[in-house]
Amino acid sequence: MTRLSMVYITLYYIAFAIFLGGFLFKIWRFAKTPAPLVIVGTPGAKSGVGTALRVASDALLFRSLFRGNKWIWVGAYCFHFGLLFLIFRHLRYFVWPLPMWYSRVEQLVGITGGLMVVIGIGWLLGRRFFHARTRYISAFSDYFVLFLLLAIAGTGLLIKFSVRTDIIAVKTFMLGLARLHPQPAPADPWFLLHFSLVLVLLVYFPFSKLMHAGGVFFSPTRNQIDWTRSTERNGGTSLPSRTRSLRRSARG
Amino acid sequence: MASIEVNGKQLDVDEEGYLQNLGDWNMDVANFLAKKEGIDMTENHWEVVNFLREYYEEYKIAPMIRILTKAIGKKLGADKGNTKYLYELYPGGPAKQACKIAGLPKPTGCV
Amino acid sequence: MADIVTPKLDGKIRIPLMEEGATSHYHTLESSPKLNEALGYPGELVENWQEKAIEKFREVLDTNKALRVFMDICVKCGSCTDKCHYFIGTHDSRNMPVARQDLMRKVYRRYFTLGGKLFPKLVGASDFTKEVLDEWYTYFHQCSQCRRCSVFCPYGIDTAEISMAARLIMSHIGLSSKYSNEIIAKVYNTGNNLGIPAPALAGTMEFLEEEVKDATGVDVRYPMDEKGADVLLIAPSADFFSAPHVDSLIGYGKVFHEAGISWTVSSYASEFANFGMFVGDFHVMRKIAQRIKDAAREFGVKRIVVGECGHAWRVGHSFWNTLVGPWDFLDQRYPVPQHICEFSLDLIQRGGLKLDKSANDARIVTFHDSCNVARASSMGGYEGGQFEVPRELIRATCNNFVEMAEDTIKEKTYCCGGGGGLLTDDLMELRIRGVLPRAEALHAVMESHGVNYLALICAICKAQFTKVLPYYNIPMEVVGGIHQLVGDAIVLGGAKHEV
Repeated sequence: MTRLSMVYITLYYIAFAIFLGGFLFKIWRFAKTPAPLVIVGTPGAKSGVGTALRVASDALLFRSLFRGNKWIWVGAYCFHFGLLFLIFRHLRYFVWPLPMWYSRVEQLVGITGGLMVVIGIGWLLGRRFFHARTRYISAFSDYFVLFLLLAIAGTGLLIKFSVRTDIIAVKTFMLGLARLHPQPAPADPWFLLHFSLVLVLLVYFPFSKLMHAGGVFFSPTRNQIDWTRSTERNGGTSLPSRTRSLRRSARG
Repeated sequence: MASIEVNGKQLDVDEEGYLQNLGDWNMDVANFLAKKEGIDMTENHWEVVNFLREYYEEYKIAPMIRILTKAIGKKLGADKGNTKYLYELYPGGPAKQACKIAGLPKPTGCV
Repeated sequence: MADIVTPKLDGKIRIPLMEEGATSHYHTLESSPKLNEALGYPGELVENWQEKAIEKFREVLDTNKALRVFMDICVKCGSCTDKCHYFIGTHDSRNMPVARQDLMRKVYRRYFTLGGKLFPKLVGASDFTKEVLDEWYTYFHQCSQCRRCSVFCPYGIDTAEISMAARLIMSHIGLSSKYSNEIIAKVYNTGNNLGIPAPALAGTMEFLEEEVKDATGVDVRYPMDEKGADVLLIAPSADFFSAPHVDSLIGYGKVFHEAGISWTVSSYASEFANFGMFVGDFHVMRKIAQRIKDAAREFGVKRIVVGECGHAWRVGHSFWNTLVGPWDFLDQRYPVPQHICEFSLDLIQRGGLKLDKSANDARIVTFHDSCNVARASSMGGYEGGQFEVPRELIRATCNNFVEMAEDTIKEKTYCCGGGGGLLTDDLMELRIRGVLPRAEALHAVMESHGVNYLALICAICKAQFTKVLPYYNIPMEVVGGIHQLVGDAIVLGGAKHEV
């Protein structure tokens, strides 16, 4: 194995460990921090199912953002679902074998995803540059992460369409990493650039606003249930035992 | 602590200009405070101030607005026994501005 | 009247261009050392305030999930930037919700994140300097904690939680607002925000009995400290003092009279408002709520009904159970607490009130959803009940009801501009500017439908609108409570029934 391969393999595991450890640590901290008072934004669901639907509609449909600003919603939705498509397209580098239908749709999904991400990021970057209020609230880190993602998407499209890389070598390398049985890294500089940028993203992730990806499920104004009155008449919901346990947890 | 000077005497007031000691009040002080608020004290203004002080002496609080309007209505005629008229006398509000001139503490809360 | 030029209303809400620092001089009066100490805070800014503030900050992060999550997950999308009434009214860019949050976030980043410790400039982190503390004090006292921004945030980030936490941290280093502290101290001493002593309250209640007798010829009771009554009424103390607040109190009395239910107010717990929420202090909130529980237990009442007060309804509805529960000594067939609007509507629906809607025919009514009712609580036990219960009550008592524009009502309602502990004379300019979007929406229906009555269920809203609408040439007489409408429509002695 070449020294270059050794370096990339080591970096990969370090980056992945930082990402996983950091992400899980943050999620664990979100989860364990107590929320003594019920501060759910109302109208809030009176049941667990209703609350789950509410959180899901924000996580999957970006419902609140849609209500807040349709222009941002278009860009954000395009970008995030493009990203989802791309992750799907990259499954073959982590999981093998995959079902037949996967290889039938992967090209289409991948190309669509790539375009959606590039267009979405362009849209969101445009807002940051040209929309006065958005520009005012943007820091370097807000641009940085967009450029990083743009560079990842750009190099990805490049090795797909322009400076075609050796897919078999990439797959061997990636599956080797996933199976903890490292194989030599492809020597294609464009692939290595693409790969390096992803490592930067992984390391950056847990320390940044990208934590919204997990945090969205922990927002008390959305994930709590509106059950605080000891007895609810009229509506017929009576939750005394629940509120008692809530109280205990609040005191303990 | 801020202070004001009336007739050569230094009197303590709080940050918003309300007299700190009820006993420091007299008509000159009231006139002084009224002037600062841009109000020329007429007889009707005095009726309000006097009622506020009387009530405060008994209850240690300014009266509810309706008690005040009713008392003023009795003294000055029914057409003047309403909030609107009190605001004409004290545009800053009968509760706050009139209390300030009467040397009473500022009513606090959602008022 | 404060000397201030207000824009001419035309019914349209416009998003202004940013003017950074336009309101940096709105600095609400600081609390005196004596007041701070009475509440258990340091009297003056402590010497090592920076260290103490960071220590308290860490404690809040460790005990308040909302703050912990909200500090980390804002992506600066900008959805909230045009949603705050104070931004719309003042044009100050720091009044954009995300910019306000960032005042705290930049300190969070500097002391609690790796990026902020290593590269403060690049991530917008900043040392907690005296200038930053000044900004905190200034701009966290320009947030009325109305939660409107939170509705439109993809993650529900609630600036109210952030401003409460900021005020809590500041209180613990000896810096807090006079207005709120003065009021909290009065509740501790006298049981209500105004400091009304028991004899004065008794006199006031007697006065009301005479007034209602004069007006209607019926002996409607306004009892105080009567042990053994069925209902303990907890009203905001402004109801005992101000107009138009008192007209709602008169209304509550008439409703109880017709229901045939014995009730009482308590001179010990004569306040529903709970400013502990505004200053973000769980312990203050609990202490104030405890008075109410103690009074209820002492009087042996079966249920607690509460008056028209917005933030206190949030505290009662959403926090009481956690703060001072359980309420197992009360009759469990009724919610604790029950809102007077729920009580009245329920009575009407069961035929327990005879109403003459024509008594309100001179009024063309619109309804302003108070923020803490609309976005932080519910009514009637069903999702969205906080919007429907008051409206049904208005429709049951009035023939003319008009809604304001859709994006200014229900959960999208605009704050009156005086909530969150900002209803103080020394912030009058902020209050006048903050009411702008609501004033525009109101103006629109006044022009189009001749609306002449703004129905409210919040003491702060009533006081704020009465004072600031005149600056926009809207007369203060339009302001009133829902139970003023109910009280005026009730035909006393009209319904004979068992409840």
